Amino acid sequence: MSSEPHILVIDDEPQIRRALRTILSAKRFRVTVASQGEEGLALAAAQQPDVIILDLSLPDLDGVEVCARLREWTQVPIIVLSVRDSERDKVDALDRGADDYLTKPFGIEELLARIRVALRHSAQSQGSKRTVIQAGPIVIDLAGHTVARDAEEIKLTATEFKLLAYLAANVGRVLTHSAILTHVWGAADADRVEYLRVYIRQLRKKLEDDPEQPKYLVNEPGIGYRFLADE
Amino acid sequence: MTPRSGYRFSFAFLHALAPYLLAFLTTALAMGLIYLVRGSLNPSIVALLFLLPVGLCTFLWGLGPGICAALAAFLAFNYFFLQPYFTFLVHQTQDLLALMVFLAVAVVINQLLGRSRQSLRAATAREREAIRLYELSSVLAFSQEDEAIVQTIAGQAAETFQADRVEVALEAVAGERPLSRSAAGGEVPPDSEANLLIPLETARGVLGEIRLWREYPPLTAAEERLLRTFASQGVLALERARFSKAEARARVLEESDRVKSSLLSSVSHELRSPLATIKAAATSLRSGEVPRESEAASDLLAAIEEETDHLNQLVSNLLNMSRIEAGALKPQRKWNLLVEIVSGAVNRLRRDRAVQQHKIEVDIPDDLPLVPVDDIQMEQVFTNLVSNSLKYSPEHSTIRVQAWHSDVNTVLVQVSNEGPPVSEEHLERIFDKFHRITAADRVTGTGLGLSICKGIVEAHGGRIWAENLRQGFAFKFTLPLTWEGAQARVQIE
Repeated sequence: MSSEPHILVIDDEPQIRRALRTILSAKRFRVTVASQGEEGLALAAAQQPDVIILDLSLPDLDGVEVCARLREWTQVPIIVLSVRDSERDKVDALDRGADDYLTKPFGIEELLARIRVALRHSAQSQGSKRTVIQAGPIVIDLAGHTVARDAEEIKLTATEFKLLAYLAANVGRVLTHSAILTHVWGAADADRVEYLRVYIRQLRKKLEDDPEQPKYLVNEPGIGYRFLADE
Repeated sequence: MTPRSGYRFSFAFLHALAPYLLAFLTTALAMGLIYLVRGSLNPSIVALLFLLPVGLCTFLWGLGPGICAALAAFLAFNYFFLQPYFTFLVHQTQDLLALMVFLAVAVVINQLLGRSRQSLRAATAREREAIRLYELSSVLAFSQEDEAIVQTIAGQAAETFQADRVEVALEAVAGERPLSRSAAGGEVPPDSEANLLIPLETARGVLGEIRLWREYPPLTAAEERLLRTFASQGVLALERARFSKAEARARVLEESDRVKSSLLSSVSHELRSPLATIKAAATSLRSGEVPRESEAASDLLAAIEEETDHLNQLVSNLLNMSRIEAGALKPQRKWNLLVEIVSGAVNRLRRDRAVQQHKIEVDIPDDLPLVPVDDIQMEQVFTNLVSNSLKYSPEHSTIRVQAWHSDVNTVLVQVSNEGPPVSEEHLERIFDKFHRITAADRVTGTGLGLSICKGIVEAHGGRIWAENLRQGFAFKFTLPLTWEGAQARVQIE
């Protein structure tokens, strides 16, 4: 077995499979492709890939269903691909276990960034977790419950810190509204998006250079939020 | 016979008998009055006085009761006022003659009065009929829906015929369920047979029928004829409604056909131009004529990327348009920060080099409440409004996106540019599909962008319009700040 990360691409579009195989191979990934859901599930079980890229519209199985069936036995990172205008499918897939999503058409830098984040998170979940996250001038100490900007401590309320800590612990990864709300406010408030909007606005005011052009607390329309840090 | 119809029968009998009794009583009353003053009257005056109750009875209750009164008066005259008194015998020939003349005069008056009364009644009835028909046809003239027509006929028939119940039932037509409306004036035992059934017939078949229940008085031939006239008026109205519906459908089809062909020609043109750029750039890069690491090569690559973004934008506009057309554009509302949506749209647009020639300023107050909108759709609105502004405004000018609280429950958004003013007629039609201010070959676009904005804003319960500013031009739209009757409420610790 080679040390190159192994990526399984499940997509029914031959052109996408061809492009991804070419590009990812050039980036020194080992690539396996499947054109159908069942075939993808079988390959995932047989080859134990490091990352799965899954198209949500497959001819034989619903992509969300594939996600759920993979999550029955594996924690392998799943990045779903889908067209715009189907935010509900993406949120479903994310809530059913997918790690991230990309909207078709996408730039290859975006895809590579997602793959890197996914690989890093799966490595971390096996090893020790990072407790200090740095994003530009911001340093978040998850264990010490402190946040500093340009080495100056920033006062956050308990809820603000809980929200920021959850986003930062999943740095680079998209988190759905309901996932964040459930984690920070509890399952009863899972659809109170208004809480999230208001607290995100407050966090941006305290942390971002320009709260209207956020660099770290990034909105994902129709889906949720993502905390971005320097790679 | 059920007890109910027994009761009805005796009631009918009494009702028919009453005028005769009344005629008899009137005559008796007159007789009493005359008897009191008999001393000062001679028999011929008495005979004349007796004509009064006869005429009155005929006038009030008709021929039969009139005859009855005449006979009673004749007998009373004979019995009480002609000698010998208190017997029907008559001694003098003169008296006998007077008695006979009295009877003849009474009967003639009775006949004359009775006839004129009958013809008056007939005339009144005809007039009422005419008024009813006029009312019916004028109400039906404004009814365009089967349901309203059927309801009108039932209501008017129940009122006109004083019916216990009228039911108008339509048979099912293609794609629609059978329809039935009824109006009731009295009570009808369930499952009883209608007293009269009139079909609603056209040359092409039966549309349905009118059922009428009226136990008493029985329907006359004239009433049946009137109900048939009601039916034919109803049929006319129903047919007219169906024709006008069919015509409206045909017009919609024609219009959507026209829209589809303009859409196709516009879209194929719009799809081809980015494809042409992409094809040209990709082939020249592959041909090796352009050095790989040159500025030209990176220009070509950037062109490919920008054009694919254009195509993507175009496809989402097309999808949204077809959703708006199909009435399937349902906003997935959530509470949103307007500034977040705007900066999302602006950041995506700024990737385009043509956009970088302009300045885009976003000025949204920090304390603006959350807006209950579908953020994906609203982002499309801002993308379309800003890209439209970019197209029509001079290079290096500024596009401004502003928003403010216009009243307690509304936010007003303005996307303004420094472009030339737009004439009144265009201001009104600017949100129409395929409406262009400039000739199509000078500006790119499908002509759909603004009509999509209109569709989305209106689906959110807002209003959109365009206006000239003192310097430049602006799109403005409103959005409600309430959702399910309330604004967003968030407690901040």
